[in-house]
Amino acid sequence: MIRQMRETFAHDTWVMPYLRKYKWLLTLVLFLGSMTFLSAGALMFNSGYLISEAARRPGNIIYIYVPVVLARAFGIARPAFRYAERLTSHNWVLRIVSDFRKKLYQAVENKAMAIKQTHQTGDILSILAEDIDHIENLYLRTVFPMVIGWVLYLFIVIGVGVFNWAVALLLLILLGVIVMIMPMISVAVNGAREFKEKQIQHDFYTNLTDEVLGLSDWVISGRYDDFMDLQTKPIKQIAKLRREDHFFQWWRGFGVQVFFLLAVLTLLIWSGFQFTGSKAQANWIAAFALALFPIIEPFLEISQGASEWPIYQQSIRRVNDLSADPEVLTNQSDLKSDFAQLDVDHVTFHYEDDDRVILHDLSLHINTGEKLALLGPSGTGKSTLLKLLLGDERATSGQVTVNGQDIATLQNARASLFGVLDQQSYLFDTTVMNNVRLGNLNATDEQVKAAIKAVELEPLIQSLPNGYDTQVQESGARFSGGERQRLSLARILLQDAPIIILDEPTVSLDPITEKDLLDTVFSVLKDKTIIWVTHHLAGVDHVDQVRFLENGVFDMQGTPDALYQNEARFRRLYDLDRGK
Amino acid sequence: MIDSRLFKLPGIMGRAIVIAVLMFIQAIMVVIQARFLSQAVVNLWNLKPVGTIVTPTLIFIVSFLARHLLGVFQQRTFYPFVEKTSGKMRSDLMTKLFRLGPSVVEKAGTGSVVTMALEGIDKVQTYLMLIIIKMMDMSITPWIILIYIAFLQWKSALFLLVIYPVIILFMVILGLAAQSKADQQYAGYQHLSNNFVDTLRGLPTLKQLGLSKRYADNVYHVSEDYRKETMATLRVAMTSTFALDFFTTLSIAVVAVFLGFDLLDGNIALLPALTILTLAPDYFLPIRNFANDYHATLNGKNALQSVLDVLEMSEIDDRKALTDGQWRADSHLKFDDVSFTYDNMKTPTLKHLNFEVTGNTKVGIIGTSGSGKSTLINLIGGFLAPDEAGDMTLNGQSLPHLGQDAWQANQFYIPQNPYLFHDTLAKNVAFYVPSATRDAIEQACAKAGLTEWITSLPDGLDTMIGEGSRGVSGGQAQRIALARAFLDSSRRVLLFDEPTAHLDIETEAALKQDMLPLMDDHLVFFATHRLHWINQMDYVLVMEHGELVEQGTPSELSQHDGAYTRLRAEMGGAK
Repeated sequence: MIRQMRETFAHDTWVMPYLRKYKWLLTLVLFLGSMTFLSAGALMFNSGYLISEAARRPGNIIYIYVPVVLARAFGIARPAFRYAERLTSHNWVLRIVSDFRKKLYQAVENKAMAIKQTHQTGDILSILAEDIDHIENLYLRTVFPMVIGWVLYLFIVIGVGVFNWAVALLLLILLGVIVMIMPMISVAVNGAREFKEKQIQHDFYTNLTDEVLGLSDWVISGRYDDFMDLQTKPIKQIAKLRREDHFFQWWRGFGVQVFFLLAVLTLLIWSGFQFTGSKAQANWIAAFALALFPIIEPFLEISQGASEWPIYQQSIRRVNDLSADPEVLTNQSDLKSDFAQLDVDHVTFHYEDDDRVILHDLSLHINTGEKLALLGPSGTGKSTLLKLLLGDERATSGQVTVNGQDIATLQNARASLFGVLDQQSYLFDTTVMNNVRLGNLNATDEQVKAAIKAVELEPLIQSLPNGYDTQVQESGARFSGGERQRLSLARILLQDAPIIILDEPTVSLDPITEKDLLDTVFSVLKDKTIIWVTHHLAGVDHVDQVRFLENGVFDMQGTPDALYQNEARFRRLYDLDRGK
Repeated sequence: MIDSRLFKLPGIMGRAIVIAVLMFIQAIMVVIQARFLSQAVVNLWNLKPVGTIVTPTLIFIVSFLARHLLGVFQQRTFYPFVEKTSGKMRSDLMTKLFRLGPSVVEKAGTGSVVTMALEGIDKVQTYLMLIIIKMMDMSITPWIILIYIAFLQWKSALFLLVIYPVIILFMVILGLAAQSKADQQYAGYQHLSNNFVDTLRGLPTLKQLGLSKRYADNVYHVSEDYRKETMATLRVAMTSTFALDFFTTLSIAVVAVFLGFDLLDGNIALLPALTILTLAPDYFLPIRNFANDYHATLNGKNALQSVLDVLEMSEIDDRKALTDGQWRADSHLKFDDVSFTYDNMKTPTLKHLNFEVTGNTKVGIIGTSGSGKSTLINLIGGFLAPDEAGDMTLNGQSLPHLGQDAWQANQFYIPQNPYLFHDTLAKNVAFYVPSATRDAIEQACAKAGLTEWITSLPDGLDTMIGEGSRGVSGGQAQRIALARAFLDSSRRVLLFDEPTAHLDIETEAALKQDMLPLMDDHLVFFATHRLHWINQMDYVLVMEHGELVEQGTPSELSQHDGAYTRLRAEMGGAK
């Protein structure tokens, strides 16, 4: 277990550095947390002494004056420390979350590509965001209670040790069971179980999502019994694990109480021998007998926190795996002159971990202002070709150049070279104005409005109650698919890059919306160079040349007119698309 | 804090009574424990020999252990009930989903349905486990302790009694205000963390715009601003906990001081005084525990509410009304003035539809997006029920809706993205006929044009597909759906909802060749805005703004200048 722990933290960049970075705040949290329970213990200790002393009826109130004042002081100190501790620890954790978010963002940014990946990435991102929450909890639920528990433990043992080292040794062992042994057993027993439960739960989650997504098939097939049966097994497994988990927790809690009882008895019996020399001494007995009771609370938390460790461990490993070294871009330069030509020169490509050749000796030449449509069934390498053009992937052999400069050396200038409009360009959860301005952060309000006008959204936006300050909502839900694409187009207009990549921008639109959007796109971008990946031939008349990509090579190319005249296959597809 | 429907859960009252009895005994143990620990201390204080504390200490040990054992017993007694109830709730929820069908999922979102069935039920479980036991604890334990204290010294008891409502009052005053802020903040936190995920998802776009590096600082600043706001609210929110803490701790201190003065004056002996002091923290313990679990309880209550809300949703009943669900050459389906309104809408989505079809006809449904094509398909499929019963007639029988088992057993529904289950290809194809032979599956795949692709797969028909497995292109997914239909030749009704709109033109053309043979000898409803399909249809329904504006054979419709020709012209595009 210790080895496991060491492994987890061996190359850790997510937990330890922050403990060091904010060590003073951390110390403060731990101090306040310890003081909370020490005050609570001291209150009972002091009160025990107070009433014992008072019961001797000393005749003058002055004898109990100090304990009376102390009782009030401790009574106020405990809640005050607790209040301060909670504020400080939350502040601390939230501060770390800011760091985490930035760090996670940067880690993901390193690997992000401008061309959409599989839709699964979304889930991975959610998992990572959850991992951050887990690490937050690691501090709040495991690290803080544990360290505070240990501080109290040491305090008690040393405090008693001042009077009698043998008793201190006994307490060291008894309370040691609570703060050391029990947490270890918890991690071993319950931890493995919680880990397993998480795994089953994950499978269950996948199954259930599968069932819900395929619900219409289930309903029509009428397979009700099979539908229910699929759930029965994981539900039973989880129920069993959870039952064991609960039973273990209850009995562990009971176990803690038993050892705690032994500690209380130790103190009671010891004080029975130690402080029965005189009446004055005997007043301390109640103090020692009662002092321990408030301290049971943090002791009970330690084991629970420990048993959650395996979940945190998984999260720590995952985020640590993520933050590999960022790729350093070397030899970067700017484009020396205005964009004139883009060349794909005998490019062959396969992924490093896959021998399958995706693009085979492909060449392409585009002059400024030219418009190219790229077609082909899915999986033939259209997306890969776009990634190569942008420099997200490097060709296995051959080269992609802009004005003869290797695209790999132009990565820092990329945003000034390429604008991308894809299937669902992302709109951020902010205003229309802010979203469009992302194209050029220095654009004036007038320029943003002009761009919106150019994409023919001005009447719509002005008709909204909040106008340009309308929130687009999550993923741009406020607007229809066609409107979202137009907003993204406005953004690209502001970006004002010479080459525009259109990656199936109309795939989810109906034909009328599609036609209108394409008309707008090609009219506002008439001076730009356009590379347009499309899934059918609607609007193909806008371009100068059409290329069909199949099995990694271009198998049909030419102007739309020439292809229609000479290629029966093209003619057939074109007519089909027009509803003939 | 408590949903009244909680008490209607079967078996809950019986268990609650058992808990109450155990709680009562436990409270007595708490009293005994305090009494005899004090006894032992007092004996020592009187400088009696250590031997005199053996008996009280033993009683203390026994009652201490009994107290905590009873705690475990309470949980153990109650847990089977909780497990059974939440388990049943989960399976009820699944049954309900099956009965309500995909339209509910569409409305609520897949994510939230799954979350409800998993984490939602888990939260309910935690809630059930907490709420009854904690409520019982609060309503029994303090009062037994208080009665005993009153018996020892009425003055302390009176003080503790008076301070209790004061604590609750302060918790309510400070707590409710602050807590509602905290709840808002919690919602805000959720929003922020969703927003963070959104930012991550928007990364490709930021990268396209060349902003991705710079945005990292933005992420940090947004989070920091949020921290500052949160801390401002937390400061208020935590005051409620502080109030509770402050009053309980200070009360103990006050009781100790009072007792001190009373002892000084000789109004009370040490034993009762020490007992009262020992009992005071236990008097406040239940309410503190309750406050500690506030958020878990609140989450649980909300989860229970939303689960119960779904369980109480009305489902389509009368699913067995249809006697003759077969579709033959002379079968007949009639819509007579059918309208449909979604629950949350004021105006109907479909208005006064009238049409009838006989035998194996291929019916095309065309219209722009939002014209009601999909809703009509859902009505025909029986996933939605019309506003008024009796407007639909099938094989001469007037029906409240088409959600008839006998009708659904006869149909196939092929949407734009047919769902592929996370399973082998063979099992996916055989989804509707799990008992199908390997031969039959292979033949169906051949008819659907899948054979070539299957031979290229590493494990052929046994390759795992679906989410998280091997990627399947849109065209192949449609072919798998076709194979399902080819395999189950007993289903005579085919519903297509825009099956090819997202496919590239070549894939669509090839798929069409394999799709057309399947449509023969079937009743087909084919909703699309891809016009070339209309040439293969026998009959066309033209939808516009939820109304059926034109119907007839394609040639009839193209004869005159109506909605059909207008739509064709608009969709046809340039040239």
